[in-house]
Amino acid sequence: MIEITDLAKRFVQGGGRHAQAVVAVQGLSFRATDGCITGLLGPNGAGKTTTLRMVAALVTPDAGRITVDGIDVAAQPRLALARLGVLSDARGLYPRLTARENIVYYGQLQGLGAAAAAARAEVLARTLDMGPLLDRRTEGFSQGERMKTALARALVHDPSHVVLDEPTNGLDVLATRSLRETLRRLRDEHRKCIVFSTHIMQEVERLCDQVVVMAKGRQVAQGTVAELLERTGQRDFEACFVQLAYGEAEA
Amino acid sequence: MRPAWIVFVKELLDALRDRRTLLVVVLSSVAVGPVVLIALSVLVASLEQRADVREVHAVGIEHAPTLRNYLERQTYAIKTAPADYERQLVSRERGDPVMVVPPNFETDLAQGLAPVVELVSASANTRAQGGIGRLAGLLQGFNQEQASLRLALRGVAPGLLQAVQVQERDLGDARARAAQLTSLLPFFVLMAVLYGALHAALDTTAGERERGSLEPLLMNPAPMAALVLGKWGAVSAVAMLVAVLSCLSFLPAQWLVRGETLAAVFQFGPREAALFLALLLPLAAALSALLMAVAIRCKSFKEAQANSTVVILAVSLLPLATVFSQEGERPWHLWVPALAQIGLMGRVLKGEPLHATEALLPLAVATGLTLLCLGFVARRLRGAAVR
Repeated sequence: MIEITDLAKRFVQGGGRHAQAVVAVQGLSFRATDGCITGLLGPNGAGKTTTLRMVAALVTPDAGRITVDGIDVAAQPRLALARLGVLSDARGLYPRLTARENIVYYGQLQGLGAAAAAARAEVLARTLDMGPLLDRRTEGFSQGERMKTALARALVHDPSHVVLDEPTNGLDVLATRSLRETLRRLRDEHRKCIVFSTHIMQEVERLCDQVVVMAKGRQVAQGTVAELLERTGQRDFEACFVQLAYGEAEA
Repeated sequence: MRPAWIVFVKELLDALRDRRTLLVVVLSSVAVGPVVLIALSVLVASLEQRADVREVHAVGIEHAPTLRNYLERQTYAIKTAPADYERQLVSRERGDPVMVVPPNFETDLAQGLAPVVELVSASANTRAQGGIGRLAGLLQGFNQEQASLRLALRGVAPGLLQAVQVQERDLGDARARAAQLTSLLPFFVLMAVLYGALHAALDTTAGERERGSLEPLLMNPAPMAALVLGKWGAVSAVAMLVAVLSCLSFLPAQWLVRGETLAAVFQFGPREAALFLALLLPLAAALSALLMAVAIRCKSFKEAQANSTVVILAVSLLPLATVFSQEGERPWHLWVPALAQIGLMGRVLKGEPLHATEALLPLAVATGLTLLCLGFVARRLRGAAVR
């Protein structure tokens, strides 16, 4: 379970007299439970990526607390990271290494032995249907192939929590479908706690058990898709989202 | 330390997979020794050859039998210069200056009228310019002989004209003399090491940022120090490999050396190679760390390349400190990385002994620089990943 309480972060842009504080996240609280897919829905610049970076201990929050299975991320980041599989916004691979080497490298950094990491790579290759890719160097991979390799890399240590930042960015229909299928399987068969950020309504509608709607760094609504529809009185989720994120006027 | 080892192995594998870059770096580092030595030996051989040739190229020597007689007594062969010697000298086709004797030389000489003998060369023609001194010396000798004869005829002792006797004594031994020529070698080796480290250092820092692989890397529970140590270890390993290859390349290169002078004085055996490496390896590690510290600030490989030119420029300009400073090597040189190593390698080539303190001070400086730079990289790594 990932629990976020009163999270806040602001960045200072520029220096000297031109320094400007930009609020990235303000007063964000939600709980993502195991065996459940939680969607972080928001327009561009809503603070989704910053939030997920704080969960992954890459950015230190100004205020608030994040725990993973009760472990405080700020106090024990390495312990928390061992339970997290993160597919970040940047998902660069090492182009001169094969997909297998990319996956095994991360497995070893997560503390697996070489043999165990290699075995996990095989298992993940079957799960993600990327067997033929394993021994190819990753330079020249398509977007979908890259995403699969990066996802396998994030899942190599079989983490109980999976955090994905806009995972369907740049994927075609088939790759998106296959990713959705994978996430469902991870939830249903492995009871993982999954959090992913997106700005695409359809994904949330089809996949999420719980939605956290963010706008301008703040949380504007939380609940299931049905609850949010009911609350806004809309029948279309897109209209519902626009109303929540941008206010009544736009809707 | 296991995470550091894992990172080291991966980074080294990554660097070794970059075949094309590696090939260029390794080939150029291996080629340094032979190419520099062959170039030097050709230069020295041509200087020796020119000094050995006892020839005077002249025009109108038939008008001056006395001069001819003198030159031949000095065992010089007299060659007649072609008619278009002026053009040849200007266009540098001709490497020998030309002596032009006027038609009335002999009669003027007999009447004591001091005929004018021209020595023709072109100041842009270094080869011909180098031979002028020899011809002038010959003519000076001829002058002196004629003067002595005239004084003797008049019953004056020629010794009266010589108030002071001059004798030159050269204290430089052959090895030190050759070290003037071979002083360039440490510089080439150092640059090879620097360029060897450059690509790997940039790739593991700025390259990783540009690829977007630094952010996911930091989402592993490996300690920051382990990541930095592993990366630095791999970059240093490549730089040290280049150092070893370029030092060892001088050993077989010696067999290619032509010209006895250089072969006799350029003694680069296993002892010299070992001393070179003892000086170079810590510096290779420090330069790797320095390049990484410069590159981690940069968002892209290209930006890092532009920034690292400052380091390259500094290292390539440092040897000039010894050229500009009239005082030669100063104690403070030992405190400056690269400059210290170049100075000490030069002394190894000259066959001078190194004291322990002289070798330990640069080592301590290199260690300090390495720690400082690695600390900086570790501090900047997290910030670099998200920006």
